[in-house]
Amino acid sequence: MLGSKMTTLRAFTCDDLFKFNNINLDPLTETYGIPFYLQYLAHWPEYFIVAEAPGGELMGYIMGKAEGSVAREEWHGHVTALSVAPEFRRLGLAAKLMELLEEISERKGGFFVDLFVRVSNQVAVNMYKQLGYSVYRTVIEYYSASNGEPDEDAYDMRKALSRDTEKKSIIPLPHPVRPEDIE
Amino acid sequence: MAARGHVQDPNDRRLRPIYDYLDNGNNKMAIQQADKLLKKHKDLHCAKVLKAIGLQRTGKQDEAFALAQEVATLEPTDDNSLQALTILYREMHRPELVTKLYEAAVRKVPSSEEYHSHLFMAYARVGEYKKMQQAGMTLYKIVPKNPYYFWSVMSLVMQAISAQDKKLSQTMFLPLAERMVEKMVKEEKIEAEAEVQLYYMILERLGKYVEALEVVRGQLGEKLTSELQSRENKCMSLYKQLERWPECNALSCKLLLKNPDDWQFYMSYFDSLFHLIDQGWEPPSEGEHCSEGEVRSSVAQAIAFVEERLAVEEAKETRPLRGPFLARLELIRRLRARGCPEEQELGEPLELMFQYFIKFGDKPCCISDLKIYLDLLTTDHHFINRLMETVPLSEPQDDGVALPGDTRALQRHLCVAQLSRALGLHHALDTTGKLDLIRQLKSHYRHGLQFGKSCLKTELQFSDMYCLLASHVYIDLWAETGDETMLWQCLGLLEEGLSHSSSNAQFKLLLILLFCRMGAFEPVVDLYSSLDAKHVQHDTIGFLLTRYAESLGQFAAASQSCNFSLRFFHSNQKDTSEYIIQAYKYGAFEKIPEFIAFRSRLNRSLHFAQVRTERMLLDLFLEADLSSSLEDNVKSMGLCPEEDDIPWTDMRDNRDLTVLTSWDPADRQLSEEQRSFSLQEELLWLKVRFLTLRLVGTLAVLSHPPTPRNAEKAAENGVVAKPDILRPLLDQLNTTLQNGAQFLERGVQYPFLGPSPTRLAHALASGSCHCQVLAFQLAAYVQELDAAALEETTEVQTQISNSFKSLLIQLKEILNKCKGDLLEVKEGQCKTQPTLLENLVFFVETVCVVHWVSCFCAGVLRPLKASLQKRKKKKKEPISMVVFSGFQEFTAGLQSLFSEVLDHIKGQETSLTALKLGELTLEEWTVSHLAAYKQRGGREPLSPMSRDGLFMCLDQQDWE
Repeated sequence: MLGSKMTTLRAFTCDDLFKFNNINLDPLTETYGIPFYLQYLAHWPEYFIVAEAPGGELMGYIMGKAEGSVAREEWHGHVTALSVAPEFRRLGLAAKLMELLEEISERKGGFFVDLFVRVSNQVAVNMYKQLGYSVYRTVIEYYSASNGEPDEDAYDMRKALSRDTEKKSIIPLPHPVRPEDIE
Repeated sequence: MAARGHVQDPNDRRLRPIYDYLDNGNNKMAIQQADKLLKKHKDLHCAKVLKAIGLQRTGKQDEAFALAQEVATLEPTDDNSLQALTILYREMHRPELVTKLYEAAVRKVPSSEEYHSHLFMAYARVGEYKKMQQAGMTLYKIVPKNPYYFWSVMSLVMQAISAQDKKLSQTMFLPLAERMVEKMVKEEKIEAEAEVQLYYMILERLGKYVEALEVVRGQLGEKLTSELQSRENKCMSLYKQLERWPECNALSCKLLLKNPDDWQFYMSYFDSLFHLIDQGWEPPSEGEHCSEGEVRSSVAQAIAFVEERLAVEEAKETRPLRGPFLARLELIRRLRARGCPEEQELGEPLELMFQYFIKFGDKPCCISDLKIYLDLLTTDHHFINRLMETVPLSEPQDDGVALPGDTRALQRHLCVAQLSRALGLHHALDTTGKLDLIRQLKSHYRHGLQFGKSCLKTELQFSDMYCLLASHVYIDLWAETGDETMLWQCLGLLEEGLSHSSSNAQFKLLLILLFCRMGAFEPVVDLYSSLDAKHVQHDTIGFLLTRYAESLGQFAAASQSCNFSLRFFHSNQKDTSEYIIQAYKYGAFEKIPEFIAFRSRLNRSLHFAQVRTERMLLDLFLEADLSSSLEDNVKSMGLCPEEDDIPWTDMRDNRDLTVLTSWDPADRQLSEEQRSFSLQEELLWLKVRFLTLRLVGTLAVLSHPPTPRNAEKAAENGVVAKPDILRPLLDQLNTTLQNGAQFLERGVQYPFLGPSPTRLAHALASGSCHCQVLAFQLAAYVQELDAAALEETTEVQTQISNSFKSLLIQLKEILNKCKGDLLEVKEGQCKTQPTLLENLVFFVETVCVVHWVSCFCAGVLRPLKASLQKRKKKKKEPISMVVFSGFQEFTAGLQSLFSEVLDHIKGQETSLTALKLGELTLEEWTVSHLAAYKQRGGREPLSPMSRDGLFMCLDQQDWE
């Protein structure tokens, strides 16, 4: 199933913010304030990639960053947002975008790649598992709800990169943590 | 907030509580604490600044500014004060003051790397490129770190980008930047990728593509590693610039061999191919074809290349890539366009698209892939029939509809339906055919729901798009026949869809559009807010809300939606500046011009200018009564009537006009021409509104003509003597209305799913524009009367008296256009008349204008009458003043007109209440509908009748 995305992959630019409605009108995709996008574009432009269809529509994008201490072997790539428009799902596009982020993180000498996902978002959790990610820890009430519903927990999922030869970075923590305990 | 880590400094300890209060939003306590501290330590400047921050945040801007300046004039050099002042100035939107601050600081401490660096950033915030260039070099001389040097280089590039004189950019700024980099290259001091990136940017902007290519392909290019395929992409772009088609050709093929799915390289391959053919390019007799390797430069080679890619995919066990299959269609199209007979070697498009469907028809994107190539087909029906034969469906059910057994079959069938629509086959059906099609689509929709029973609330149903397709056919029927029942049915269907798929944005968007077109705004507010549109989306889809809120009389909602958008636009200026600074810090040089262009795109947004204008008009309309003064309102919103600050010639249309999914045939899709017409129309209407606003503002200024006696006082209040601006503005308004009428004569139509027309046509038809012009004209006459000697006013008096009379007549005419039922219910059929409501809103807006003009008239006439009476006492020759009696008649006429309006609105309310009550009786229509829904075992969908929002009513407007 992988690879049939037939796409132009390129760097995300500010102008794409005017065209991403078909992706961002999805209930699980957050539209952030301008500063958030600009921060990523200013600091980690290579980690912000968009896929464009032959007809010019935006298909999906990934936004990430590199962070953590090298000395403590915590230097890693982080997936901040990954979203694909409904029309372009089931093509393996998300997997392709993840692959690119992993490759960039490899080049930067990261030990692992990690991401947060709602525990209820089974579709995404399963997809990440298929891509080689495992649950490293649960973060309690990571997602704050707005409309009176309870806050939701997140899985912190990780995949070791080649630099972490013994795969130490992905050994699951025995206990859940609170949002204030994560860096 | 500021640096608080230095425990050794006792001042830090003293200041800490104030910082904490400020951080927690407890500004009052922060101020108190600062006062306490200042009593003991008079010279603790930072406490003053922190107090100023507290004052600023509690709305005491003037006090805050005065306090800050006390400290600033001392030219502080302590970190705490400097940082606090920086924060304060930023919050005050006075970033230019930060530069002054650090200029003083580096004068006093010339060796401080930190202060120089702050100074550079302060300049960056305000775009002082020349000073940045110097500040960067000064920094580099103090501490020879590469980034400082390249900040200075980048500042030169920014001078080049921003220079009015492009020649200066090319002959001075960029060459200087180039030499600065070359110097570092020669000295082998280049360290970072960002530095090479900047070098590339400079060469590219200088048009030195050969040199740029050498850099990218050379040793320096090895540093370009962060971005994937960075070197290849840069080479490709340079080959195109240099028209080095052999290299472009060879590199494209190389990259396609690596990834046969990367669409952009098929495009560059085919582009290069035809350039080479046109040039008659021949490979060299020996040696490599070019520096990028083998060139495939004949049609035969191109066909072979595509066929090879296809063979690889066909041989795969796993699912093949889509790229090569679509590339074949693309090549056919290009060959056909050039009249190349070799096209046929690739196959018959119908057959190839059929095969494509067999391979990828179960993917939701199949429709968007194939729709690009539908023009290659010659027989549409045949194509659709062949596709349909391959879709596995059950035996026809009782209703004659054959249904798919799983989601893959469903997706295939859906794709055929979408393709039929895209080929115009839906449009070609007659009314019966369309109704039957709707029946089938609904049947598929409801049947398909069973596959999505386990779907989460956040997921879409597999069959949702059938529901949307059926809705589109309903809209076709309505457009063709004018039968509004179709829209009511469509509303019902979409509500049903939403009840099964509550996060389907397309359902919501179409419902919003339909409700607005039918004149019912209330349900739109909830639907729109459930889309959770935020930030930049205010600019791209905010128009969905702002277009109709006001015109349908929802003034409060209109004002609110303008506010949402305005808040976004206002934060933009401050926000982007911070990230321009960050881009310098992280060496993301190519992002700096991008951020600046982005900021300008937002500042020049059409929607921004619209919401700004409408918001001010709304504020004035909502405050239009005798108790509040127009002058105060105009002053408080900072409206300056003689100023035109809208960038008319360079406006950016950021609306996302294709946000509503459409599978219509290409010739029914929104065209570029329609886009530009829509923008033209929006600009015309905006101009009408903006001029109206400025004219109203002028009335406010004219009401307080500064007499010599109080001129000084008036100037103090910000009201200064103006040259006559009423007439020129009125002339402009007249011209714009004429242009508007000319535009409408063209009869431009937009696709239903595209942009909505503006209010212009209705405004002109209602007569409100001309009535407002007449009112402003009256004000101009009255102004004339005021200026003339009493003896010479006979003519202008006649004009004024006539205007009074015509105004009353015109207002009455507008009112007559508001009469009728907003919602007619006859024999179970509903018919909405949104125009009546829109006219009523125009009437209300016009009444506001008339009200202000009347106040202005009264303001002039009253003293005039008094002076006349004095004259009488002195027994001078009597002068006939018909204006006074005219004004009295006019105001009496207005009174009786208003009571008529109020009766009309009450009448509307009564009839709508009657309809609501009428709904409580179970009519046959409703019963049969409910029964039908229950039969299907589904939940009871909201019938559109029961949506409260359908009952349109005006916000209470106090203009009695």
